[in-house]
Amino acid sequence: MKSSYMKIFIIIMFLSGILQYSIFDLSWQYFKTAQATHIIGSLLIAIFLLIPYVNMHTYEFMIVKKAKSMSGVLLGITLFFIILSGIYLFLVGNRGGDILGTLSFYIHLYGSFVLLYFLFSHARKKFHAKPLVLLFFALSMTFVDNTYAQEKLTNIKIEEGVSRYHNEDWTSSAKCKSCHEEIFDQWADSNHHHLVGTNPYYMVMENLAGADMGEEFRQWCMGCHNPSAVTTNQKRTTHEMDGSLMPNVLFESGSKRLLDDFKAHGNSRLEQGVSCVACHRITETDSKGNSAYTLKIRDRKKYAFEDSTSEIEQYLGEKFINSNPQVHKDSYSNKLYKKSSYCASCHDEFLPDESKRAVVSTFKEWRDSPYNNPKDATKHKDCIDCHMTYLKDGEFAPLKGRSTDGGVVKDDVKVHYFSGSNHFLSGLKSKEHEDQTLQLLRTSAKIDVDIKDANISVGVKNVGAGHHLPTGVSDFRELWLDITVRDAKGEVVFSSGKLQEDGNLGLDARPFMKVFGDEDSKPVGLMFWRYKKMISDTRIPAGERRVESYEIAEAKTLEYPLKAVVKLNFRIYPQWVTDAVKRAYPQLPNPDVVVLEKIEKSFEK
Amino acid sequence: MRFFIGAFVFIVLLLFSVSLLLPTKEKRIFSDDALRVAALSRDMSSTPETYEGLLKLLKTDKENLFREKVELGRDLYFEKKLSKNSDISCASCHVISKDLKDKNIYLDALTSKANDKTDCVVCHLSDQSATDRFETSIGDGGRENPFHLNTLTTLNAALAKYQTWSGNVKSVEEQVGLSIKDASQMNLSADEAVERLSLDASYMKRFEDIYGEVNFKNIEDAIAAFLKTLITRGDYDRFLDGDNDAMNKEAKKGLAHFLNFGCKGCHTGVSVGGQSIQKFPLRDYNSVVDVTNSFNESQKGREVATFDFNAKMYHPFPFENRGGFMGKDGQRLFRVPMLRNVTKTSPYFHNGGVAKLREAVHLMGKHQLGMNLTNAQIDEIVEFLRALEGDVVEFNIPSKKGEL
Repeated sequence: MKSSYMKIFIIIMFLSGILQYSIFDLSWQYFKTAQATHIIGSLLIAIFLLIPYVNMHTYEFMIVKKAKSMSGVLLGITLFFIILSGIYLFLVGNRGGDILGTLSFYIHLYGSFVLLYFLFSHARKKFHAKPLVLLFFALSMTFVDNTYAQEKLTNIKIEEGVSRYHNEDWTSSAKCKSCHEEIFDQWADSNHHHLVGTNPYYMVMENLAGADMGEEFRQWCMGCHNPSAVTTNQKRTTHEMDGSLMPNVLFESGSKRLLDDFKAHGNSRLEQGVSCVACHRITETDSKGNSAYTLKIRDRKKYAFEDSTSEIEQYLGEKFINSNPQVHKDSYSNKLYKKSSYCASCHDEFLPDESKRAVVSTFKEWRDSPYNNPKDATKHKDCIDCHMTYLKDGEFAPLKGRSTDGGVVKDDVKVHYFSGSNHFLSGLKSKEHEDQTLQLLRTSAKIDVDIKDANISVGVKNVGAGHHLPTGVSDFRELWLDITVRDAKGEVVFSSGKLQEDGNLGLDARPFMKVFGDEDSKPVGLMFWRYKKMISDTRIPAGERRVESYEIAEAKTLEYPLKAVVKLNFRIYPQWVTDAVKRAYPQLPNPDVVVLEKIEKSFEK
Repeated sequence: MRFFIGAFVFIVLLLFSVSLLLPTKEKRIFSDDALRVAALSRDMSSTPETYEGLLKLLKTDKENLFREKVELGRDLYFEKKLSKNSDISCASCHVISKDLKDKNIYLDALTSKANDKTDCVVCHLSDQSATDRFETSIGDGGRENPFHLNTLTTLNAALAKYQTWSGNVKSVEEQVGLSIKDASQMNLSADEAVERLSLDASYMKRFEDIYGEVNFKNIEDAIAAFLKTLITRGDYDRFLDGDNDAMNKEAKKGLAHFLNFGCKGCHTGVSVGGQSIQKFPLRDYNSVVDVTNSFNESQKGREVATFDFNAKMYHPFPFENRGGFMGKDGQRLFRVPMLRNVTKTSPYFHNGGVAKLREAVHLMGKHQLGMNLTNAQIDEIVEFLRALEGDVVEFNIPSKKGEL
């Protein structure tokens, strides 16, 4: 092989490599081609041409001792490091977690200038390249890229001229698992994943909404629950089938079905619900609620072969990302994601008519709460500070770890359990999820009790939640006081908040919730979209205390001391709701009643 | 030697490139009216709105289709006595509600005290699709179809020239009888069916009024009469009847594809299928040089499917051959399925091997037409198939005496 060919090869590799350098700001379309050319080309050249060629040189230098060249030795050493760092970048990548990756990246980048310098100085015919290379080298040093770990807002505009997406545009979350396994597993059993086909309550409610208000009305639910289906023009949410049976997905952990589906059909089959890209490709929100967000699924930067169906190409695609993942990071993260206004696009919900009556107003509750304190950062808490922070022993314990396999160790990995109040559905799949949610729930309230004269009064204070208690679909949540008072003999003299035989809450209980009514102030029951008048709203705003007083009959004749046992109970769905859902999903168990707080206290006369 | 290697490489390259060299040419574009004319000229037509139109379509007369008979048929359709263990009726698999006008079916089912409707029926009854959406049908005593065949819809079934997956049956009357007698369906002998109905005084009287006596042929006839009124009408029919706005732009493009690509060659007639028996898959991609590549999405929009080598096992269908059914005479001959309401009758193909409509359209393009449909083309065809969805027409059927 003529040495001039080798030089051309090396210069081509240098150019295709250096074009990826951030100071050139190459447009994405060219970048990904340059990257793929660089990696595949240099692999082939290095293995088949360069290494034999260098070997021959070394042989001449060390064994035959015919050649004698200082610049040649230096060139050889530099080349050795460039190849070594290149191979490391290809096989392991620069994922941020190991110092070797970062080192390799810089050796590969700056070493290439050194290489070029020695290449020219080694050339038999000298030409005045030295000043040029030196200038280039100096220039590059002044632009040292320190923005590596930072996130910047993308500048992508709204995808104009796109009327709808195709299934293939929605990258399946299963694909993300290969590098973000831990986060995937957290999301896989979380309520954000199980918002649609695998959520029996949702399926029944969407069908009911469709039957009651017309098929088109389903889109209202689907805007937040099923963005992928809405944007691909699906008319309804569908569930899985296993032959002639509906698979029992309620207890299936780790999203096995999604992974199997991806294996069999790749991206051609749509993943329903809130997938990784559904959140991580939201580019704008206006915090008005009812799915007010801007998605840019199609307009994103993909590495070469990223979407390929062939296994080899997929393997290469992953390697390409790992070797230079900055673009990948920028594509899927956004400062917006840390703000509460981001969550507001779905966690605020109103009726889609001119009344705009609020159905869920979690974001507005937070906005008006003491937790929204932009002036004092120590008192300010955003949604993710509670709902995406790891809990241990009932306390927030930011998780130290990685969000990417082999990535940077972060002090506070934002966990994707999405703990809220629904411990039940995620708990059927994973005890870890249930535990996280219950811990979070138990940070929310404190109770106190007092008996005076013939009255027992119980105070409930919302101490931990940055919104009302309960929030969300608080027409379908039960938070209530279960009180038992016994006299000196141990006989029950007062009782409230017990369940009836059919599982429904006793009529004497005073649940903290809101009740929607129709025009005639009759409860709307399941059909909350018929809401016209608020019948009652007994939720507890953030930081506030509500006192419930009950009269104990025949208090004067009682034998003291009285012993009161008060529990603050929570049930995620009332029995009558579960009963309705069970008609369609007989395998669904009843949700447990969870005791959030419990106090026992004796009272003397 | 060198020559042969060169020739081999040349041939392989040619095979690879041929699909890429052919253009993805745009087919004819129709105006709305031209599209209608084209569809009508290719034997596609709308379903009637009136009783008279229905009689004309079915080529029958008033003496054979009147209210009492249809009502008797409806009651028999929902009659569980017609199954051996008296646990299922026709409507158990061909799921439809007795009162199509009832808008509260779903809410009532969810909240009624009587726990009579559970599982799938609760949600799917309001679909009114007249099928159960299972991969395989489940008959009397929970028995599955021996060939893993799924339930066909009874909507519009009377419009088909051939019944069942293999197309062996020629009329709905015949199929009604077979379904009652079939061991994996209702599993009831003809004599026992007649005997059971004879014991019921009200049925006795109704049969006598209409036919003069209860016999198996009359049972078949009554149920068939009811089936003949299960005709759906939707956006597509309104478009064919002259309303240009009835179908959206995408659906019209889909209809144009349907005509251009040749789908209409088999899925034709008022029922958009069911009129002939055809081979599936038409293109048997099982040789070493395989052009199946069925789920490879990379080379779409070509007139000729992409070349590939095949290292797979022999596969008669482009999906799992569950049940081992091979069509009529074992020749992979199938009755062309009707596409009316196809959006409500997943899973697709005889053994329910394909769950999603888009995949089904893709496979039909590949194996029956020999072309790789693009994503956009599949979207548009699916949009057209959605326009084929319709509600059951409420015909104003006169009584035997001619009273309305």
